Amino acid sequence: MLDSVIHKEISMKSSKKILSMFRSESFRTRHGVALGALVLVGAVQAQAQTTYNVAGIADFTGPYADVMKDIAGCRKGVLDWWNQEVGASLGVALKIKEYDSRYDVAQIASLWPGVKSELNPVAVLGLGGPDTAALQQRLPSDKIPLILATAGYGFGWKPDSWVINARPTYPHEVAAFYQWLQKKQGGKAPLKIGIISSEVSPAYVDIHKGTEKFAKENPSVVEVVETIYTEAQPTDLMQQVNRLVRKGATVIQVFNNTASVVATRRALQSLGKTNIPIVMSAHNGLLSSGKAIGDLNQMEGSYEVYGMAIPTEEKTSARAFFDKLRSTYKADVSYTTPCMMGMSMGLITVRAMEQVVKVKGPKGVTGEELRAAILSNPLKVEQTFGVLPAVQYTKDAPFPTVNISVNIGTVEKGVYKIVGQGIPAPAISKW
Amino acid sequence: MDPAGVFATSFAKDQALIRTRKQALSLLLFVGLMFALPMLANARAVAVMTSMLITGVVVLGLQINTGLAGQVNLGQAAFMGVGAYSTALLATKLSLPFWVALPLGGVAAAIFGLVFGLAAVRIKGFYLALTTIAAQILFHFLVLNLPSNWLGGANGLTLEPARLFGYVLDSDRSIYYLCLVVACVMIAGAYGVARSRHGRAFFAVRDDDVASGMMGIDVVRTKAMAFLLGAFYAGIGGGLWAYYVRFVAIDQFTLIHSIWFIAMIIVGGMGSITGALIGVFLIRLSQETISSMGPKLIEHFSFLTGDVVFAAMNIFLGGVISGFLIFEPRGLMHRWTILKRSYRLWPYSY
Repeated sequence: MLDSVIHKEISMKSSKKILSMFRSESFRTRHGVALGALVLVGAVQAQAQTTYNVAGIADFTGPYADVMKDIAGCRKGVLDWWNQEVGASLGVALKIKEYDSRYDVAQIASLWPGVKSELNPVAVLGLGGPDTAALQQRLPSDKIPLILATAGYGFGWKPDSWVINARPTYPHEVAAFYQWLQKKQGGKAPLKIGIISSEVSPAYVDIHKGTEKFAKENPSVVEVVETIYTEAQPTDLMQQVNRLVRKGATVIQVFNNTASVVATRRALQSLGKTNIPIVMSAHNGLLSSGKAIGDLNQMEGSYEVYGMAIPTEEKTSARAFFDKLRSTYKADVSYTTPCMMGMSMGLITVRAMEQVVKVKGPKGVTGEELRAAILSNPLKVEQTFGVLPAVQYTKDAPFPTVNISVNIGTVEKGVYKIVGQGIPAPAISKW
Repeated sequence: MDPAGVFATSFAKDQALIRTRKQALSLLLFVGLMFALPMLANARAVAVMTSMLITGVVVLGLQINTGLAGQVNLGQAAFMGVGAYSTALLATKLSLPFWVALPLGGVAAAIFGLVFGLAAVRIKGFYLALTTIAAQILFHFLVLNLPSNWLGGANGLTLEPARLFGYVLDSDRSIYYLCLVVACVMIAGAYGVARSRHGRAFFAVRDDDVASGMMGIDVVRTKAMAFLLGAFYAGIGGGLWAYYVRFVAIDQFTLIHSIWFIAMIIVGGMGSITGALIGVFLIRLSQETISSMGPKLIEHFSFLTGDVVFAAMNIFLGGVISGFLIFEPRGLMHRWTILKRSYRLWPYSY
């Protein structure tokens, strides 16, 4: 915002100067031709704004098709905003082209060579696991960073990665929630948590292993009563949830998918235990699970936690920025968690581009420089309008592992609201 | 049916794959075109063709197992996964070169397939289908639950690019040629199997295992052999996949992949080696087309939400498979055979 104000002031001063020059008659007669040439040079310079391509990996025909419009629309909205308000003065524009991947590794692997030769992108904005699987070994030689808005995984905790997550790992995020909840409840005894997980995806396994690691290292905060594996899309979890309840679980962690949240909530309702909250993440959060179960009110008392802004109706800087994208830049999107993910990817990319251009100018920016800028320049909350908390990378991981904070949302008396902002996350050892 | 004037005068000629000069010339041109493809087509087309070649090898294995020998197999993706993991392990932990790791990966998959092939000796049909699904689930379970320093667990396995005489096969073009050469060998092998005594035993067991047993065919051995060969092909395909993506994880080899492989042989034609390849080509092409159309559809028809497109595309693909099962269960190769016979007989009807 500050950038755009400065640039507007500069352009106003320049136009006043030019007007006063035009008022001088002698100037018009003697230097008319020269001024014409000057204007021409200016026009040529404006046209010489360097455009860099960004590839967007999308899923319009796969399992995440229903949320793709918001992800793609919001990341494009951020780039449109930046091109107009910041990039224009820097002499740089970013253009995104979306490629459908069906969220499938084989599809992305066969798509990527074409993307590279067609666009020669400086960055790829992806979706999640399949992008990482298909491209992680190629990107170091292609010198193009892949930016994701999902949380990180333990198996990605390596130095020198070209796959960069905007958020810390899921276990970091949920650990912050457990610490917060324990304090909120005022208890000193550890929270007894049950985990509903699944072996259908290595990512789900990684999440509960990370949570178990945190519990092992912090027995005064969390005790895992049991981790239950379910099928990919469970419809009935009555027996499993009953077992967790009998073991004394006071919170149930469901980070798989919306279907698992719905089945868990239905089981809790049948058991008359709706006072036991479910904690979810961004990809299966309160809005999407509430929609799936038929009514957001049914998610009363449950929580979602992640290192991005919570898309409630409350007046926040993230909401103001989103409204600007909709009104000024005609982004046809809704204020949802997928939109937050799209905005996060876009903002990380444009802020890194600013850093690179500041150092070397608008010409010849490479993916390698963009990656270095992302990893070496911490992002402040203001730079992302609160869409992301402060983001700082270290050498040992492609996701934030220090100074992490998260936001927590809930449904209270039927209202979707933020209950925790900037909640610090604890450190967890590698698992 | 041969063209007019072509008569087989010996058993070898009767069994020959290439029966006329025109056929030889066509094959030569086709192979030449495949080798020239990276010079003629863009990077995307080459990458798509690479993925078709890998899938082709896997589906050929399924065709031998299911199409030729009649053994229902819903675990081909698991066999492919075993090949991919074994190749990756041999290449990373034992530092074996790819030309050793790749066939050994195939052998590992073949052994895994044989275990389930032995179950096929006593059961068939629906029960066999369930057993092969068990292979899929067992593979998944083992990878995730064995110590992660064995098979990588949830982390998966990464491997270095293949090397040949000091040349690193890490570019799209080089990996395409690697897949093309291996696919050529495997295709030739599949034709060889189909025409061999093993192939004839497969056909006999497929058509009637009781009768073929009474005729002296070792049914137990034949069924086990079908699984062994089918899984070997899947393992080789898995090894190629491992060198292509250079990262192996269990979610790359799921039941849904196995179902797609079945769809490919249904569309191409059960029991036909060429049909399997045609099925792979058409299904992969339709998947690519759908993926290319997705963003454009959303862009031009903003009233369509993503889930509508997703549903429509899946209905379309499912409809194609159902349509083939109802109207042409013998696949496109059968249609092609009818068409070829018609024009060879023309102007007569028989």
